[in-house]
Amino acid sequence: MTDYSLTIEGRFDQVASLSDLVESMATEAGFSSRDQYALQLAVCEALENIIIHGYQGESTNLIEAYVNSDPGEFTIEIWDDAPPFNPSNNPAEIDWSQDDPPVGGLGLKIMHKVMDEISYERKGERNWLKMFKRHKTN
Amino acid sequence: MDIQITDHKRVSVVAVSGRIDGSTAGEFEAALTGVTDAGNNNIVLDMSDVDFVSSAGLRVLVNTRKSVNSGGGKIVLAEPSQQVVETLDIAGLDVLFEQFDDRETAIGTF
Repeated sequence: MTDYSLTIEGRFDQVASLSDLVESMATEAGFSSRDQYALQLAVCEALENIIIHGYQGESTNLIEAYVNSDPGEFTIEIWDDAPPFNPSNNPAEIDWSQDDPPVGGLGLKIMHKVMDEISYERKGERNWLKMFKRHKTN
Repeated sequence: MDIQITDHKRVSVVAVSGRIDGSTAGEFEAALTGVTDAGNNNIVLDMSDVDFVSSAGLRVLVNTRKSVNSGGGKIVLAEPSQQVVETLDIAGLDVLFEQFDDRETAIGTF
Protein backbone atom coordinates (compact mmCIF):
# COMPACT_ATOMS: atom_id res chain seq x y z
CA MET A 1 0.00 0.00 0.00
CA THR A 2 1.30 3.41 -0.92
CA ASP A 3 0.01 6.75 0.31
CA TYR A 4 0.90 10.21 -0.86
CA SER A 5 -0.55 13.60 -0.11
CA LEU A 6 -0.26 16.83 -2.00
CA THR A 7 -1.64 20.29 -1.30
CA ILE A 8 -2.12 22.71 -4.15
CA GLU A 9 -3.57 26.18 -4.53
CA GLY A 10 -6.86 26.44 -6.38
CA ARG A 11 -5.29 27.41 -9.66
CA PHE A 12 -5.58 25.61 -12.97
CA ASP A 13 -1.84 25.49 -13.51
CA GLN A 14 -1.49 23.51 -10.26
CA VAL A 15 -3.69 20.69 -11.46
CA ALA A 16 -1.05 19.07 -13.66
CA SER A 17 1.23 18.45 -10.67
CA LEU A 18 -1.42 16.24 -9.11
CA SER A 19 -1.98 14.59 -12.46
CA ASP A 20 1.64 13.40 -12.45
CA LEU A 21 1.18 11.88 -8.99
CA VAL A 22 -2.00 10.12 -10.10
CA GLU A 23 -0.20 8.65 -13.10
CA SER A 24 2.65 7.22 -11.04
CA MET A 25 0.30 5.83 -8.36
CA ALA A 26 -1.96 4.26 -10.99
CA THR A 27 1.06 2.70 -12.64
CA GLU A 28 2.15 1.26 -9.31
CA ALA A 29 -1.34 -0.17 -8.78
CA GLY A 30 -1.09 -1.98 -12.11
CA PHE A 31 -3.60 -0.01 -14.15
CA SER A 32 -3.26 -0.02 -17.94
CA SER A 33 -2.02 3.12 -19.67
CA ARG A 34 -5.58 3.71 -20.82
CA ASP A 35 -6.91 3.55 -17.25
CA GLN A 36 -4.02 5.69 -16.01
CA TYR A 37 -5.07 8.40 -18.43
CA ALA A 38 -8.74 8.03 -17.47
CA LEU A 39 -7.82 8.42 -13.79
CA GLN A 40 -5.78 11.54 -14.51
CA LEU A 41 -8.74 12.91 -16.43
CA ALA A 42 -11.27 12.20 -13.66
CA VAL A 43 -9.03 13.80 -11.03
CA CYS A 44 -8.46 16.82 -13.25
CA GLU A 45 -12.22 17.23 -13.66
CA ALA A 46 -12.78 17.00 -9.90
CA LEU A 47 -10.14 19.65 -9.22
CA GLU A 48 -11.33 21.99 -11.96
CA ASN A 49 -14.90 21.67 -10.64
CA ILE A 50 -13.66 22.74 -7.20
CA ILE A 51 -11.82 25.72 -8.68
CA ILE A 52 -14.70 26.81 -10.93
CA HIS A 53 -17.80 25.95 -8.90
CA GLY A 54 -16.40 25.75 -5.37
CA TYR A 55 -13.92 28.58 -5.18
CA GLN A 56 -15.71 30.52 -7.98
CA GLY A 57 -12.51 30.91 -9.95
CA GLU A 58 -8.77 30.68 -9.46
CA SER A 59 -7.50 31.64 -6.02
CA THR A 60 -4.91 30.82 -3.40
CA ASN A 61 -7.46 28.72 -1.50
CA LEU A 62 -6.07 25.29 -0.86
CA ILE A 63 -7.03 21.86 -2.13
CA GLU A 64 -5.63 18.82 -0.31
CA ALA A 65 -5.37 15.43 -1.98
CA TYR A 66 -4.56 12.06 -0.43
CA VAL A 67 -3.83 9.32 -2.93
CA ASN A 68 -3.75 5.65 -2.02
CA SER A 69 -2.84 2.75 -4.26
CA ASP A 70 -3.10 -0.93 -3.53
CA PRO A 71 -2.53 -3.60 -6.15
CA GLY A 72 -5.49 -3.23 -8.49
CA GLU A 73 -7.06 -0.35 -6.58
CA PHE A 74 -6.77 3.43 -6.68
CA THR A 75 -8.33 5.84 -4.19
CA ILE A 76 -8.12 9.61 -3.96
CA GLU A 77 -9.60 11.81 -1.24
CA ILE A 78 -9.87 15.52 -1.94
CA TRP A 79 -10.57 18.24 0.63
CA ASP A 80 -11.46 21.85 -0.03
CA ASP A 81 -12.82 24.80 1.96
CA ALA A 82 -15.40 25.97 -0.56
CA PRO A 83 -19.15 26.18 0.08
CA PRO A 84 -20.93 22.81 -0.10
CA PHE A 85 -20.71 21.19 -3.52
CA ASN A 86 -21.71 17.57 -4.01
CA PRO A 87 -20.44 15.91 -7.18
CA SER A 88 -21.34 12.38 -6.09
CA ASN A 89 -24.70 12.26 -7.84
CA ASN A 90 -24.38 10.81 -11.29
CA PRO A 91 -25.86 13.36 -13.71
CA ALA A 92 -28.91 12.08 -15.55
CA GLU A 93 -28.40 11.10 -19.16
CA ILE A 94 -30.27 13.50 -21.36
CA ASP A 95 -31.13 13.06 -25.00
CA TRP A 96 -29.24 15.40 -27.25
CA SER A 97 -28.91 15.94 -30.96
CA GLN A 98 -25.74 16.45 -32.94
CA ASP A 99 -27.04 19.93 -33.78
CA ASP A 100 -27.13 20.88 -30.12
CA PRO A 101 -24.59 18.83 -28.18
CA PRO A 102 -24.17 19.44 -24.45
CA VAL A 103 -21.34 21.58 -23.13
CA GLY A 104 -22.35 21.71 -19.47
CA GLY A 105 -21.82 18.93 -16.97
CA LEU A 106 -19.11 17.21 -18.99
CA GLY A 107 -16.69 17.11 -16.06
CA LEU A 108 -19.15 15.32 -13.79
CA LYS A 109 -20.07 12.92 -16.56
CA ILE A 110 -16.41 12.04 -17.09
CA MET A 111 -15.80 11.54 -13.35
CA HIS A 112 -18.71 9.12 -13.05
CA LYS A 113 -17.85 7.27 -16.26
CA VAL A 114 -14.28 6.65 -15.13
CA MET A 115 -14.61 5.96 -11.41
CA ASP A 116 -16.33 2.97 -9.79
CA GLU A 117 -17.36 4.86 -6.66
CA ILE A 118 -17.70 8.56 -5.81
CA SER A 119 -18.55 9.62 -2.26
CA TYR A 120 -19.11 13.07 -0.82
CA GLU A 121 -19.60 14.43 2.67
CA ARG A 122 -19.66 17.88 4.17
CA LYS A 123 -17.31 17.57 7.13
CA GLY A 124 -17.41 20.64 9.32
CA GLU A 125 -16.71 23.58 7.06
CA ARG A 126 -15.02 21.46 4.43
CA ASN A 127 -15.93 19.36 1.41
CA TRP A 128 -14.63 15.79 1.33
CA LEU A 129 -14.68 13.90 -1.95
CA LYS A 130 -13.55 10.30 -2.31
CA MET A 131 -13.13 8.61 -5.68
CA PHE A 132 -12.30 4.92 -6.09
CA LYS A 133 -11.46 2.75 -9.06
CA ARG A 134 -10.80 -0.96 -9.20
CA HIS A 135 -8.64 -2.54 -11.85
CA LYS A 136 -10.73 -4.53 -14.28
CA THR A 137 -9.32 -7.96 -15.04
CA ASN A 138 -10.32 -9.73 -18.22
CA MET B 1 0.36 24.21 -25.10
CA ASP B 2 1.44 25.50 -28.51
CA ILE B 3 -0.80 26.48 -31.41
CA GLN B 4 0.16 26.92 -35.05
CA ILE B 5 -2.30 28.15 -37.66
CA THR B 6 -1.77 27.69 -41.39
CA ASP B 7 -4.25 29.01 -43.92
CA HIS B 8 -4.77 26.95 -47.07
CA LYS B 9 -6.99 27.80 -50.02
CA ARG B 10 -10.18 26.33 -48.64
CA VAL B 11 -9.30 25.41 -45.08
CA SER B 12 -7.41 26.61 -42.02
CA VAL B 13 -5.20 24.06 -40.31
CA VAL B 14 -4.84 24.56 -36.57
CA ALA B 15 -2.14 22.40 -35.01
CA VAL B 16 -2.30 22.27 -31.24
CA SER B 17 0.12 20.44 -28.97
CA GLY B 18 0.60 19.82 -25.26
CA ARG B 19 -2.01 19.92 -22.54
CA ILE B 20 -5.48 21.40 -23.03
CA ASP B 21 -7.18 21.95 -19.68
CA GLY B 22 -8.56 24.76 -17.56
CA SER B 23 -5.26 26.63 -17.67
CA THR B 24 -4.96 26.61 -21.46
CA ALA B 25 -8.51 26.28 -22.80
CA GLY B 26 -8.96 30.06 -22.94
CA GLU B 27 -5.93 30.47 -25.19
CA PHE B 28 -7.11 27.54 -27.33
CA GLU B 29 -10.58 29.09 -27.69
CA ALA B 30 -9.14 32.51 -28.54
CA ALA B 31 -7.04 30.99 -31.33
CA LEU B 32 -10.01 29.19 -32.85
CA THR B 33 -12.27 32.23 -32.47
CA GLY B 34 -9.64 34.23 -34.31
CA VAL B 35 -9.87 31.78 -37.21
CA THR B 36 -13.67 31.86 -37.38
CA ASP B 37 -13.86 35.62 -36.87
CA ALA B 38 -11.67 35.97 -39.97
CA GLY B 39 -14.40 34.16 -41.89
CA ASN B 40 -12.70 30.77 -42.06
CA ASN B 41 -15.33 28.17 -41.20
CA ASN B 42 -13.51 25.14 -42.58
CA ILE B 43 -11.02 23.91 -39.99
CA VAL B 44 -8.70 20.95 -39.76
CA LEU B 45 -7.62 20.55 -36.17
CA ASP B 46 -4.35 18.63 -35.97
CA MET B 47 -4.31 17.07 -32.49
CA SER B 48 -1.51 14.56 -33.03
CA ASP B 49 0.69 16.10 -30.32
CA VAL B 50 -1.97 16.70 -27.66
CA ASP B 51 -1.05 14.67 -24.59
CA PHE B 52 -4.02 15.61 -22.39
CA VAL B 53 -7.42 17.16 -22.96
CA SER B 54 -10.03 17.74 -20.26
CA SER B 55 -13.68 18.77 -20.53
CA ALA B 56 -12.48 22.39 -20.70
CA GLY B 57 -10.91 21.53 -24.04
CA LEU B 58 -13.97 19.59 -25.17
CA ARG B 59 -16.17 22.61 -24.53
CA VAL B 60 -13.95 24.63 -26.90
CA LEU B 61 -14.24 21.92 -29.54
CA VAL B 62 -18.02 21.76 -29.25
CA ASN B 63 -18.45 25.55 -29.26
CA THR B 64 -16.18 25.87 -32.30
CA ARG B 65 -18.14 23.16 -34.08
CA LYS B 66 -21.36 25.06 -33.45
CA SER B 67 -19.79 28.26 -34.76
CA VAL B 68 -18.39 26.80 -37.99
CA ASN B 69 -21.52 24.78 -38.67
CA SER B 70 -23.66 27.90 -38.39
CA GLY B 71 -21.31 29.55 -40.88
CA GLY B 72 -21.78 26.71 -43.35
CA GLY B 73 -18.44 25.03 -42.63
CA LYS B 74 -17.14 22.15 -40.57
CA ILE B 75 -14.31 21.19 -38.25
CA VAL B 76 -12.57 17.82 -38.50
CA LEU B 77 -9.77 16.22 -36.51
CA ALA B 78 -6.48 15.12 -38.03
CA GLU B 79 -4.50 12.34 -36.40
CA PRO B 80 -5.98 12.78 -32.92
CA SER B 81 -3.71 11.33 -30.24
CA GLN B 82 -4.87 8.37 -28.18
CA GLN B 83 -5.54 10.75 -25.29
CA VAL B 84 -7.84 12.92 -27.42
CA VAL B 85 -9.69 9.83 -28.64
CA GLU B 86 -10.06 8.60 -25.06
CA THR B 87 -11.46 11.86 -23.71
CA LEU B 88 -13.95 12.18 -26.58
CA ASP B 89 -15.01 8.56 -26.08
CA ILE B 90 -15.41 8.83 -22.30
CA ALA B 91 -17.47 12.02 -22.70
CA GLY B 92 -19.56 10.38 -25.43
CA LEU B 93 -18.78 13.15 -27.90
CA ASP B 94 -16.71 11.13 -30.39
CA VAL B 95 -19.65 11.04 -32.80
CA LEU B 96 -19.43 14.80 -33.29
CA PHE B 97 -16.07 14.93 -34.99
CA GLU B 98 -14.84 13.22 -38.15
CA GLN B 99 -11.36 11.87 -37.54
CA PHE B 100 -8.67 11.30 -40.17
CA ASP B 101 -5.38 9.45 -39.94
CA ASP B 102 -3.32 12.29 -41.34
CA ARG B 103 -3.50 16.00 -42.04
CA GLU B 104 -3.41 15.74 -45.84
CA THR B 105 -6.39 13.40 -45.97
CA ALA B 106 -8.33 15.73 -43.68
CA ILE B 107 -7.53 18.75 -45.86
CA GLY B 108 -8.58 16.78 -48.92
CA THR B 109 -12.12 16.41 -47.60
CA PHE B 110 -12.83 20.11 -48.09
